Amino acid sequence: MHTTEVDVAVIGGGPAGLAAVTSAKNAGAERVLLIERDERLGGILNQCIHDGFGTKVLGESITGPEYAQIYIDKLQEAKADFCLNTMVLDLTPEKVLTVCSAEGMRRIKAGAVVLAMGCRERTRGALGIPGPRPAGVYTAGVVQNYMNLRNIMVGRQVVILGSGDIGLIMARRLTLEGAKVECVAEILPYPSGLARNVVQCLEDFGIPLYLSTTVTRIHGTGRVKGVTLAQVGPKWGVKSGSQRFVECDTLMLSVGLIPENELSKKAGVALSPVTGGAIVDDWFQTSVPGIFSCGNVLHVHDVVDYVTLEAEAAGRSAARYAAAGSLPSSPIKVKPGQGVRYVLPYQISGEDAVEFSLRALAPEKDRHVVFRSNGQVIRKMRELMVAPAQMIRVKLRADRFPKEGEITVEVTE
Amino acid sequence: MKGELICAVCPVGCHVTAEWNETDLLDVQQAACKLAWPYIRSEIFDPRRVVTSSVPVVGGEIPLVSVKTDSPVPKDRMRDVMQSLAQVTVQAPVNVGDVVVSNILGLGANIRATKRIKKVS
Repeated sequence: MHTTEVDVAVIGGGPAGLAAVTSAKNAGAERVLLIERDERLGGILNQCIHDGFGTKVLGESITGPEYAQIYIDKLQEAKADFCLNTMVLDLTPEKVLTVCSAEGMRRIKAGAVVLAMGCRERTRGALGIPGPRPAGVYTAGVVQNYMNLRNIMVGRQVVILGSGDIGLIMARRLTLEGAKVECVAEILPYPSGLARNVVQCLEDFGIPLYLSTTVTRIHGTGRVKGVTLAQVGPKWGVKSGSQRFVECDTLMLSVGLIPENELSKKAGVALSPVTGGAIVDDWFQTSVPGIFSCGNVLHVHDVVDYVTLEAEAAGRSAARYAAAGSLPSSPIKVKPGQGVRYVLPYQISGEDAVEFSLRALAPEKDRHVVFRSNGQVIRKMRELMVAPAQMIRVKLRADRFPKEGEITVEVTE
Repeated sequence: MKGELICAVCPVGCHVTAEWNETDLLDVQQAACKLAWPYIRSEIFDPRRVVTSSVPVVGGEIPLVSVKTDSPVPKDRMRDVMQSLAQVTVQAPVNVGDVVVSNILGLGANIRATKRIKKVS
């Protein structure tokens, strides 16, 4: 098989891959290659036609396709190479990629690899909702793709299960395109999406949001005729007598994203059971030296701006690794403490300032994010409001870090 | 008057307590930054939204081009804007920022393309 060599290979041409390959090139990696399986760069941003992107990194609110175009332009300005319609089939720990396109199969030997494959959606099969299997059950991203890229309307009367951001965005989109969105049902006692989406996508249109509620049955043969909604108790058990039938022709699911880490597993990259993404240090390096991870394949983000920042850092690290063959080790462990679901990175070198990303376990008012090192508080900051839907980002200067040992992060009173 | 509102300027989404009279906003509590003030004032006296949608494109590499209002329009006119957009078609090629409809419904906002669409023969 034909083999070519590159300094940095980036897998996935969405917002993470675009930023990673451009920053790797700008950081001095000469031969870089971005590999995208779709026929267009930009990834999911192409179908996210709503606005609200860019407030953190660009200081203005723009739409997904505009955001993508800005980073495609940056890539072209940097003269970073990319290929479309190309699928990576295999990745080894030695950083050899097997790729497939219309031209056939080939191998790429990379000095460093950046994983930027993003996520796919959790489907009905993963939830195991009882009932027949009629047409009219979609995931929110599929509805978004049909409506925004293919001009296909999916239904007229819609029930939405799950209050993830894409689900909320599509509730508004469906309504504005003439469908009746009956309700959004969320199994948790709080919304999974951002507060601004609850306001602008549901409240603006009078769409009810039922919390602690789920779909217990899908009805219909051929096409969806309705669903059974039921309230759930503290342990997600269905409250008897709370079931009711809601007529609809479409059930849209917005019930979570799964990082697409099949290639990472092939390369032997260690994954976190909490995020489903790789375990990385402050270089965004995984357990396999020279393989880096960033964006939604690392952990699910709520805003693209942080994906860009993270991917730019990962791209710089990859360029440095490709040039030097190694990076300084990361001996300081970072662990989630009370009230924290996860914190990234999982270990740090202590060489430079680190921007930590963490998520709280439950929504609460007036909390403190506390960083402790070997018992001592090294940073404490107040948050008016914490919620699992909202990633918390905290930057710590290098002089705050211990030489070795452990840092724990808590969300407390 | 007093009420609780969610600031939607950025993804943080502060839950704020606001106080106002007939003509002006008097106080905003529990906001993390100053940007909440103009947003909350507008939410109370003149709520506006950017409308985003897509329109068919003739001769393009994909069948739709995404569009937006280049400034927010009154919230209660969103459906009118959508109705009006239902009649609009554009010709490829299209570039980001191209004006698709100028001053839509006299609301002072232009409809602009948000995606680059190449022409195919």
